[in-house]
Amino acid sequence: MSFDFLWQGMGVALLPQNLLIGLIGCFLGTIIGCLPAIGPINGIALLLPIAYTSGLPPESALILLAAVYYGAEYGGRISSILLNVPGDAGAVMTAVDGYPMARRGEAAKALAISGISSFYGGMIAVVAMTFLAVPLSWLAIKFGPAEYFVLMVFAFATLGSMVGHEPVKTLLGCVLGLMLTTIGLDATSGAYRFTFDQPELHDGIEFIILVIGLFSISEVLLMLESQVKGTLKPLAVTGSYPSWAEIRYIWWPSVRATVIGFVIGVLPGTGASVASAVSYTTEKRISDKDGTFGKGDIRGLAAPEAANNAAATGAFVPMLTLGVPGSGTTAVMLGALMLYNIQPGPQLFVEQPKLVGGLIASMYIGNILLLIMNLPMVKLFARMLLMPNWILIPGITALSILGVYTAYSSVMSVLIMFGIGIVGYLLRKLGFDMAPIVLGFVLGKVMEVNFRNALALSGGEFGIFFSSTLSIILWIMAIAIVLVPIWLRRRQAARNRAGQPAA
Amino acid sequence: MSDLAQRQRRIGRIAAGVLMAFAVFYGTFGLMIEYSFSSDPIGPRGFPAGLAVALFGLGAWYWLVPGSTEEWPGQEGRIAALTFLVVSAACVLAMDWIGFVPAMLVLMTVIARLFGANWTLALVNGAGQALLWWLMFGPLLGGTLPKGPLGF
Repeated sequence: MSFDFLWQGMGVALLPQNLLIGLIGCFLGTIIGCLPAIGPINGIALLLPIAYTSGLPPESALILLAAVYYGAEYGGRISSILLNVPGDAGAVMTAVDGYPMARRGEAAKALAISGISSFYGGMIAVVAMTFLAVPLSWLAIKFGPAEYFVLMVFAFATLGSMVGHEPVKTLLGCVLGLMLTTIGLDATSGAYRFTFDQPELHDGIEFIILVIGLFSISEVLLMLESQVKGTLKPLAVTGSYPSWAEIRYIWWPSVRATVIGFVIGVLPGTGASVASAVSYTTEKRISDKDGTFGKGDIRGLAAPEAANNAAATGAFVPMLTLGVPGSGTTAVMLGALMLYNIQPGPQLFVEQPKLVGGLIASMYIGNILLLIMNLPMVKLFARMLLMPNWILIPGITALSILGVYTAYSSVMSVLIMFGIGIVGYLLRKLGFDMAPIVLGFVLGKVMEVNFRNALALSGGEFGIFFSSTLSIILWIMAIAIVLVPIWLRRRQAARNRAGQPAA
Repeated sequence: MSDLAQRQRRIGRIAAGVLMAFAVFYGTFGLMIEYSFSSDPIGPRGFPAGLAVALFGLGAWYWLVPGSTEEWPGQEGRIAALTFLVVSAACVLAMDWIGFVPAMLVLMTVIARLFGANWTLALVNGAGQALLWWLMFGPLLGGTLPKGPLGF
């Protein structure tokens, strides 16, 4: 395959007009990403008609929309780390280690680390997209319902890493998350489940309502409790940037997470939330020897951020090569291509080299711009935490309400968010972790739908889950990720016993 | 066993009981889901039924091994939490009637008070934040926010 499209694209992306458009898109995307109300889909949907009617050529319009998209992936982390309010779905796992870092005064470092790992993830994924987009497009076709189901089994197998000293609570959290996915219209049979004739529940519990309730409202209740006890103090903010050693330290976790994120991003219907969840649990499984994940470990922060950005890039692969959007946001971008009468597909790279090349080249440039733009602003963002709690916490509450209300225009949705917040608070007091609930929720719907679709295709024959090479590879990976750590622990224990002198 | 450990054990067991009761409720309603056809052999009831069994089993495990819980808030803490939740719910419900800005003014003021601001600061903060968020999410970002008699 010739890479002429890339050189032509560089010429397009480096035009002053397109550089400026990319810069504006990155800036808008960062702002859109850090506001939980908007999200990249809405941001792009708002900008699309403006881009079209303003007479921008297709490559410039696509550069603008793509810049907003990956700018939002960068921006989503800001409110996640500082306020425990995830800016978008992909930034939920960022809060798990990012927020504890902010609470101990390392907000600036956490923001910088997440920015750098986003850069790692974004850049590696763009390189992968440049060279592997067309060959990888087969993956999106090869994944049928059975393969998706086994992929979800693999994702659940990685959850073993979340099991702490009270495994029952982790498993209960996971089941509760799964249960929440069963609320609403069952797409396979058209039946309404657990809606109790409430129209607001027909579409189920939306992800953003769940995470804002679980993370943000429960956090406000915990802070209120500390305030009453007199233990809530304004946060300290140290201005420290990560050291070179720390930047090097997050390289391999970021690379691993990028691979996971990119592959999951290529698969239509999974998305950044699944990518960041699986990369976090996998990294925890690999690296968390001292139990520091969840308490502000920079690897736990870097992995989901890299995966989240890699997935955002990976989602372009099926969109450009097959015309199948890999995420909701790329579905809107596909609409943009259609608006310009451009037919996506493998021939797009040959027929529209300026457009594809311009888009890919703009991603290289956009990632660099975002890093340059984000790092100096890290201290500025972190200083937000220096505000007195009587300003900060009403702000968190307002953002939470607005995040849900502007997305769904429904008072009932906001009340559901508060209800989930109360449950989240009670569960946190009981010693439950919120991450397994979110993971169960993220993976549950994809798992059930594909399980049942696969059985519908096979006429109830369970052999379909073992019928393809991809499924078998995924089964082996799922079994290995459960058994290998146990085997390694036993081997280490046996070695330790053998090394101990006899009493 | 210390008093604290006993209390934690009791709270854990109450939570386990609630979860098991919820599993029964969820499972029962799951079996009552109405549907006219299903293209797959599991149907819309299968997954909820499996989850209900899993939740009940895990609830029983939790009842046997309740583990530890955090310290629960005292009366003052409970009143503060209740105030926050009741005022939040009331303001959210009133938003469609009185408008976004007045509802947020009340809510932001009450929360600021709960977090230690005096009345003057709380009111200034309430008014400032209500207007700021309205401007940002309304006119600036084009969001649809509830309008009251005053138009905002």
